[in-house]
Order: sequence, then structure tokens, then C-alpha cells
Amino acid sequence: MNNNQKETKTNPKKGKILPAEKGIREEVLNIFKKALADNIFDALLIPAKVPNTDAYSWILLQDESLFDIADPLPPVMTVQGGRALSSFSKNGELDLKIAALMKPCEIRAAVELFKLHQIDLNLVTLISIDCPGAMPLTDYMNDPKKIGESFKKISEKWEISESLRPACQNCHRFSLMDGTASDLHIGLVGENNKVTLIPNSSIGNDLLEKLGFEPNDSLKEWESKKEKLVKEKTKKRDAFLKEWQEKTKKTDGFFNELNKCINCHNCMNACPICYCQQCYFDSQTINFKPETYIQKTKEKGALRFPLNTMLFHIGRMSHMVLSCVSCGACEDACPVSIPVGRLFSMVGDQTQKEFNYVPGLNREDPLPLQDFKEDEFCEVETPNECEEKVTEEAK
Amino acid sequence: MAKAVKIKKNVEEGLFDFLKSLLETEKIKGVFTLKKMDDNGAVSYSLITSPDEFKKAVPLYPFMPVNAGKALSSFTLLGKTEEPIAAVLRPCELRAFVELIKRAQGDVENILIISLSCGGVLSLNLMGDKDQESTVSKYWESVKKAEISPDTRETCQFCENFLPINADITVAAVGNKDLDKEFTLFFNTPKGEEFSKEASGSSVSEEIETKEINDFKKKREELKEKFFKETQSEDTGLKSLVNIFAPCLGCHGCSHVCPICYCTLCEFDSKTHNYPTSSLGSDLMVKGGLKVPSGNLLFHLGRMTHMAVSCVSCGMCSDVCPVNIPVATIFSKVGSSLQKEFDYFPGKDIEEPAPQGTYKEDEFTKIGEQ
Amino acid sequence: MNNKQIPNIIGFLCNWCSYTGADLAGTSRMKIPPSLKTIRVMCSGRIDPLFVLKSFLKGADGVMMMGCHPGDCHYQKGNYNARRRYVMLNDIFKTLGLEEKRIGLWWVSASEASRFAKVTNEYNEEVKKLGTNPAKEEIFL
Repeated sequence: MNNNQKETKTNPKKGKILPAEKGIREEVLNIFKKALADNIFDALLIPAKVPNTDAYSWILLQDESLFDIADPLPPVMTVQGGRALSSFSKNGELDLKIAALMKPCEIRAAVELFKLHQIDLNLVTLISIDCPGAMPLTDYMNDPKKIGESFKKISEKWEISESLRPACQNCHRFSLMDGTASDLHIGLVGENNKVTLIPNSSIGNDLLEKLGFEPNDSLKEWESKKEKLVKEKTKKRDAFLKEWQEKTKKTDGFFNELNKCINCHNCMNACPICYCQQCYFDSQTINFKPETYIQKTKEKGALRFPLNTMLFHIGRMSHMVLSCVSCGACEDACPVSIPVGRLFSMVGDQTQKEFNYVPGLNREDPLPLQDFKEDEFCEVETPNECEEKVTEEAK
Repeated sequence: MAKAVKIKKNVEEGLFDFLKSLLETEKIKGVFTLKKMDDNGAVSYSLITSPDEFKKAVPLYPFMPVNAGKALSSFTLLGKTEEPIAAVLRPCELRAFVELIKRAQGDVENILIISLSCGGVLSLNLMGDKDQESTVSKYWESVKKAEISPDTRETCQFCENFLPINADITVAAVGNKDLDKEFTLFFNTPKGEEFSKEASGSSVSEEIETKEINDFKKKREELKEKFFKETQSEDTGLKSLVNIFAPCLGCHGCSHVCPICYCTLCEFDSKTHNYPTSSLGSDLMVKGGLKVPSGNLLFHLGRMTHMAVSCVSCGMCSDVCPVNIPVATIFSKVGSSLQKEFDYFPGKDIEEPAPQGTYKEDEFTKIGEQ
Repeated sequence: MNNKQIPNIIGFLCNWCSYTGADLAGTSRMKIPPSLKTIRVMCSGRIDPLFVLKSFLKGADGVMMMGCHPGDCHYQKGNYNARRRYVMLNDIFKTLGLEEKRIGLWWVSASEASRFAKVTNEYNEEVKKLGTNPAKEEIFL
């Protein structure tokens, strides 16, 4: 457990509103320029545009000159932020103060990875930022200029555009949630000339203090705009969930979505939650002799190669869907455009509800499969005795 | 000269019927080829034993969802097949299979290898596309005319090795203007010839290398020069390499689909290449910034040192890349140069060991003595 | 590179020949460039191409692979493999436009102290001419 989180989150009723005369990006970056210059952090984890290319990449930024290429909200999500953070913080203890500026879904993934011991959050300040979404990676790589400009317009208006990634169109958790995930949140919804800083933990409060910002401003304006958009997105999400639940309930509805799958496992490799160095489904556990393959073939008359397409997807689901943060990194990575992100998000939504669990919401919530209560899910094991138990309790 | 049989049928239908009769007369117990997964254009390689399931087989369909050499290797990794099967492979897939057999990753015994003069495969992002049928038709038109189809993979467009080596049976497709009505099957080996009786056609005296084939080869060679030249600007190699691989997500998809990359746990996926957290301070001090996840170029250059000399230019890597990095073209360029250096052609000779791990005492004698 | 800066050259020396030769050069008070940082391996055949690649990408201005002359390898065949690996690395570097002169292979036997001194001093000058390795400052590697 992260020692710095001993205190519960402070009541985020007030924050600090900063005018953004030179634009949102400039103002957000200025905050971190100051924080680095004042040694509040040693390095900042932030997306950056690789010079002379259209590519975006995460960097650990220490030198001030790199702010010229930094971009807190790039048009695409390349590597999932949770995965980027874990890549340098799982192999030993961090001895540098890091600020990680990431989208809410990336923060949630980082929290899940923290629970899975793949990220050392000691000395890390998680800073979330209101997210307008991102554009599909393939579309961007095919025409960076056009898609970049399109993104600029969409993000300025906080539009729920159909050009956005499907995961983003259906995302209702794009802002600060009522939990202990991030230490500080940067509110941007609906405003193009100001930035609202909301402390979400004692670390967040300390940070504002060190920056010389007194959290005395009312959050009502930002909150009302945010709630309005959350309502809209929740409606969209509910419609998406209904649509895909119906699609997959049809005979072979789920399997048919995976007909094009080529077993490249890009979805698994892009997924922040899939952290295993050697995935079970890449191992030699499932190798057979030729006569066994032929025997299996004869069962139905044909055998698809590579084997276990469905097993891979459903198996991966059973391994990670309870922690699925619906970031859509999987769908961006699929070379044959299978709606894998939407499928997993839909299944994740239902299974997470069973356990009353929201992945990445609270750092202290135990992972559902690493926890249990003695008297839960009675309906699964002893359906006839459940009523008795209820009447017992009622007494 | 190989025995040749002219079959008076559309090439796809003709090959299908040939394989079907082999299966029905039990000359082979199974066919390994492409099969339709649905009516929306999705295909996948399958091992098929029942003539009923074989109805959905589409042997020459122009997609490569996985390199068939890699798939056959997983089929025969733990031993040879006792039951005879026929496998339809493209020339590069066949060469990949040979390279894997050299590395003890497969066994070709009892497998009847059927290949074709190959016009290439379509990019995977076209699979399931609503215009798939018309794209496939256009593809066959360019095969007939021995023209380069722009919908095919880049590696296919500049592939000069489109005639198969080591195939038992070859389907002559490229450059045949009458492909809709007739085509020739070449039986190259004694094993292949055993099955020639099942080909319902007349014996002909033909060579697979025609003028059209040679012209086509020249066109592709010219395109290869052009592509190779365009991969990098002439200035600082390191900078342009960094820029080409800048969008890389580190998903390692290229390595996972590569037939030559057969390691169960790739070195670059293992703990050896995990970033040591303790290095963060010094790395940041030296450079002022660090791309994460780290090890991008090390992965690509390192993978080159491991497999580029056996690269068969199948193009799976580029097709699977989520950010359109021309991996296949760059690796083909490096592979091509390495292969010249070591006088090695991957997949040509099953007895010839791969260049790594072997040596000649009297080669490169000037190296090291300077 | 000005005269004050010295390059950073990593040398992978095989235990039986080149490392011993280097030792002999040292005890014979021969002048060896201070830029050379030696790493002893038991055989030049132990040199994984990734050692060379990683050194280069981490900013080494030069990387030297050294071993026994062909035919004299303590383990019979190791240096033949090393030779092929160097040829491969050299070819990859040339094809991709990376500065192939930043890596090299030299055969230096246990008694060839003066050869060791000659070879390392010559290479040091060559690396100085090449200038500093741009990989040192490249953050997007």
C-alpha cells in the first residue's frame, strides 16, 4: 500500500482556476515548467511529438527545452500511459520524484497495475486531465495532417464525434471520478481560456501549496459543465452497451466478430493490464503432436490454424476483463479492425458490475479475484439455501 | 523438365477440384490451405480432413492471415505427420518453412507441397472490407496480365522471388491471360509426379519460366531498387532511423508474426530487456529526457541481427504494424544485403545451414588483420 | 571533438589472447589511449552482437571486438563465429547508413603487445575524427 495515501482524499469542493491566455496547452505546460524548475518533481511523464515526424511518444521530461515538443492531450493514444509508467517503474524502486500526466483511463490502468505490483507509486504523483478523446491510430497514421486538424476542432468543442475512437465515443469516465485514483486533476471541460486545478489527495494539496496556488476557487462552473457532458456520454455508453449486448447474444454473435482474427496478439500486447512477460497463450503449453492435431481436425472435419483463436480471446478476458478500463488500446492495435475494445469493454462492464467493482477508481479497492467475503454469491453455490440465510439475518 | 498437365478450368476451381479428388480418393488424408470463415470475406488457414468442410476451402485466395510456413511449423514441431497431407503455400511461405526446418522447428516429410507463381497477397486491412470482392477481382486481372497490383503488400510488389523453390507441384498463374479457362500444373519432383494422375488434363510440354515471367521479374526488381532507396534519406543514418521507428509502440507484433522469429519467449520480451529503474537518474542526467518504454531501436536492430539474414520478405510484419512502419521493406533491404554478403538465399537449400552458427575457415580473411 | 574531450571506446577483449596482450602492453609500459574501456570475455565468440549494439546505442563512440587470430582460438571455433557476427553487424550498419567505422574487429594475440598498442591508438585517432556519437544525445532511441 502506498504510504503517501494514508490520509483519505480531501473534499474536492474547491480548486484553483488559472487563466489560460496563451491557450490550454501552454498553461498546463507552464504549471509543470514551474514544478520542475522549483524541484517539486525530478521528471515529468508526458506525451511528446517526435521532432520532424508525425509520431507521438511518451517521454520522461527533465530538461526544460523538451517542453517545446510536449503535448498533454495528443490526437492519438500511442502506448497506453499505464503501460508506459510501468515500463520504467516495475524493475526496482524509484528514487526520483515523477509526475505522471495522463488521461483518466490511463490513470485507472496505472492504479490497476499498482494493485498488480507492476508500478511503484512511491514518489509518483498521478495527475489526471479532462480528456476529449483521441482519434483512431490507423486513421491518424494514414493522414496525420487531416486527422490532426480534425482532432483540434473536436477537442476544442468537446464534441462526441464519430471520428473519435469508438472507445472514446462511449467513454463516460473522461474526467475526475469520486475516488482515490489521481492526486491532482486538471479540469478543462467546456473552457478554452481557463484551467481548473482540483486537488484529490493530500499529495495533490501539497503540490498546489508548493506551486503557490491556494485552492480557494469554486468548482461549480467546471463541475456543472462536466456533469452535463458526463450525462450525455453516459447515455451514449448505455446505448453502446445495449447494442453490443444484443449483437453478441445472437447465435455465434460473439464468435463471428472474431472471424478475421489472425492471432497476432497485438491486442494483448497493447493492453496495459496484460503485463505478463510470457503470456500463457504464447507458451508451449498448448503444443501438440501432429497426430493430435489430425485427431482434433477429424472431430469436426477442419481445424483452424493457428489454434485456439477463441480460447485466446475468452481466456484473456477471464484474466483481465475485471480490470478492463475501456481504454481501447487493443482496438487501435488490431490489424484487421476487429472491434475487440468494444467487445471487452462490454463484457467488462457486466462482469465488473457483478463484483460491484470499478477498475482504477480507488487505490485501496482490492482486485475482485484477490478478495472474497464468506457470505457472498450465495445464489451461485446454494440457490435453495439462500432464502433461509436471508430470513436468518432478518431475525 | 518437369511434367506438366494443362487443366481446362478456371485456376481456382481447377486446383480446388484437384485437391478435392486427392482428398476423396484418400491419396492424402488432409489439406492445409485457406478456408472461408464467413460470408464477409474472412479467411484463415485450416487443416481440412472432411470433403464436406473442404467445400469452404479457397486455396489461392489472395490473403495471408498468417505465414503458412509458421503455421506448418507449429503443426510439425513435435514430429513429422504420419498421415500424408497436402499444403498450399506461397513461395515465401515455403521458403520460411524450409528456414524453420533447418532450425529444427518443423518437418516436411509426408507433406505434399503445392505452390504457385505468385502475384502477391492483398494487405490485411482489406480483409472484411465491403469492397473485398471487387478488389480480389482486380487482383486476378493484374495476375493474368503480369502487372503489379497496388493493393498488394509492398513486399509483394517488389518481390522477384515469386517462383517457388522446393515445391512438389507448382500452379502457373502469373502471366497467364487465360487463367479463367485453363492453367498448367507443373509436377517438379518424383513425389509430386505420384499425384499427377489425379490432375484431369492433358500432358503438355511447357516451361514455367516464360517471357511474361521474366518481364514481370524485371519490373519488380526495378520497383525494389526504388523502394529500397526511399526507405531512408541519404543524411545521418541514425536520425532517419530514429524517425522511421518513432511511432513504434513496442507491441512487437512484427516479431510475433514473423515466421523466422520462432522463439517462444523472445529475448526482447524477457526480463533481460526490462528497463532497470535504478538507471533512470543517470540516463535523465545525461540526456535531459528519455523515451519510454525504452529500447525501441535496440529491439529493431537486435531483431535484425537475429533474423534478417533469413528474411523471406513475406511482409507479415508491415501488415500487422498498427502504425504503418515499413518494417518489411527495411528488413528486406538489410536482409538482401546480408544474404549477398554471406552468399546465402533463405529457403533455397534445405541442407544448407543458416549463416549464424556456421563458418568457413577461409572466409573474410582480411577482417581483423588490419 | 576538441583535444580536451576524449572519446568513449568500449573494448570486448577475449581472455586468452587480446586481454593478455593488453596486459603485456601495460606491463611493458606501452602507451594505450585512455579512451579505451576494456571488458574481458572468455572468448571473442562470447561477444553477442547485442553487446556491440547496446554499447553503440548507449553512446559509445567506438566499439572494439578483439580476439585470437583464426586458428588460434583457445576454444577452437569461437573467433570464427565472432568474425561472422562482426561481418553481419558491419553490413547492417552500412545498409542503414549508421557509422560502421564505430565498430571494428581486431585479432591480437597474447604476445602482440605492440600490435595492441598500435591498433588501439590508431582506432582512437579514427574515432576522434568521427566525432561524438549522436546516439549520446538522442532521447528517442
